[in-house]
Amino acid sequence: MSVNALYRAVLVGAQGLVMHLRLWPSVPLAVLALLAIPATADASIGVGIQAGPVLLSGAAHPGGSYALTPVYVVNTGTQPETIALRVERISPGRGMTVPASWIRAPGPAVTLSHNQSARVPLELAVPDTARPGQYFSDVVARGSAGIAAGGADLAVAAATDLEFRVAPGQVSGSWLSLPGWLLPGVAGLLVLAVAAFVIRGSGLRVRLERGPASTSAEGQ
Amino acid sequence: MATVSRAWRWALPLLAAGAAGLAGCGYSSPPSGAGQSASVNLSLSTVPTVRSVTVSPATASFSGCTGGKALANTQSTPTKLGFPNGRCWVGALGGTFPITITNTGIASNIDVNGASAVPSDDITEWSLCNIGDNPAAPCTGRSNDLPGTDQYLVQNFGPYGENSSGLTDDPQCDHEFDSNGHCWAMQGAFQTEGIELTGPLQSTDNSTKWTVTITWTPVP
Repeated sequence: MSVNALYRAVLVGAQGLVMHLRLWPSVPLAVLALLAIPATADASIGVGIQAGPVLLSGAAHPGGSYALTPVYVVNTGTQPETIALRVERISPGRGMTVPASWIRAPGPAVTLSHNQSARVPLELAVPDTARPGQYFSDVVARGSAGIAAGGADLAVAAATDLEFRVAPGQVSGSWLSLPGWLLPGVAGLLVLAVAAFVIRGSGLRVRLERGPASTSAEGQ
Repeated sequence: MATVSRAWRWALPLLAAGAAGLAGCGYSSPPSGAGQSASVNLSLSTVPTVRSVTVSPATASFSGCTGGKALANTQSTPTKLGFPNGRCWVGALGGTFPITITNTGIASNIDVNGASAVPSDDITEWSLCNIGDNPAAPCTGRSNDLPGTDQYLVQNFGPYGENSSGLTDDPQCDHEFDSNGHCWAMQGAFQTEGIELTGPLQSTDNSTKWTVTITWTPVP
């Protein structure tokens, strides 16, 4: 190898090294870009709801308010979701359709991150004019986070059955709904009655008698 | 000799029972020499019982728009819907299906529905319409095969073909999910779909930005 050739080889090597060094700052950016591509491609929205139906233990009555079992919801997508519940009739089933106004979610909509779940309380308020019978609808969990495909927003929801029965007659109070003072009051009365019964049966008497002062004076 | 009167004989058990009942506890210690009880804790796992769906669109947009009237300067451009009755696609009928819908929960029917298109000024929406036999909301355009004023038609399509009548406001079985015309999907089953949108004969709202939402819902 001549000196010139050797010089060129060294020069090319040096240039290559310089190019490598120039490229170094862009390497982290390229890595970040590579990481970002799959993240975008895998972006998804998803909502889940308990498969078991939402039921009411026992029958409801016109005019009554009842707490339904809290409904399990989960975010199965990669995007954060704000999930709200509403009542619709979607799936086939027997019974009258539950008016949406009868079901109320007392709390705000829940915001869930990926794979996060929550239980959302629901209340059933049966109006005085409700017809007795079997009722059926669906509780639908709907995510607020749309995902854009061009000009279209794609959305997800999930449904589970809602079933309960309205029995005739106005609502009757349960033991739990009685005033708090009632049970101790009844217990106290019971104890007093038993005590009175016992005292009477034992023969204990309280007798009031007039004093014999005048009679003894006559005798003397 | 101390005797217990008849009243006491009745009252003592009554008092004892009442006291125990009011206290709410009937606990008594086991007799000495009684065998020790033993228990075994067993853990049991069950399969998940959640109904859920996930939608993950690849990068896609309404494109390939056609139709409209060139003489009125309302002809479609590749990415903008024209009037009357321009058409746009997300994906391509017969080949490209950029939206993936996956049943991530237990086996369910997968329903799909659309909604009215909302203009950016939020004044006059386009309502969904349907074509074919027994349309839910008939299209009022030419021969009832095209949307009329302030109507639009959304048809999803997949490898099994196109939803010929169009989406409705109410969730309906997504027949793209099952080659037999049903929409039953086992856990993990997925479908790829595209969307065809046919615009109105004319729009009374002058907005040039519209929001179109399509929702997939797993139902019992």
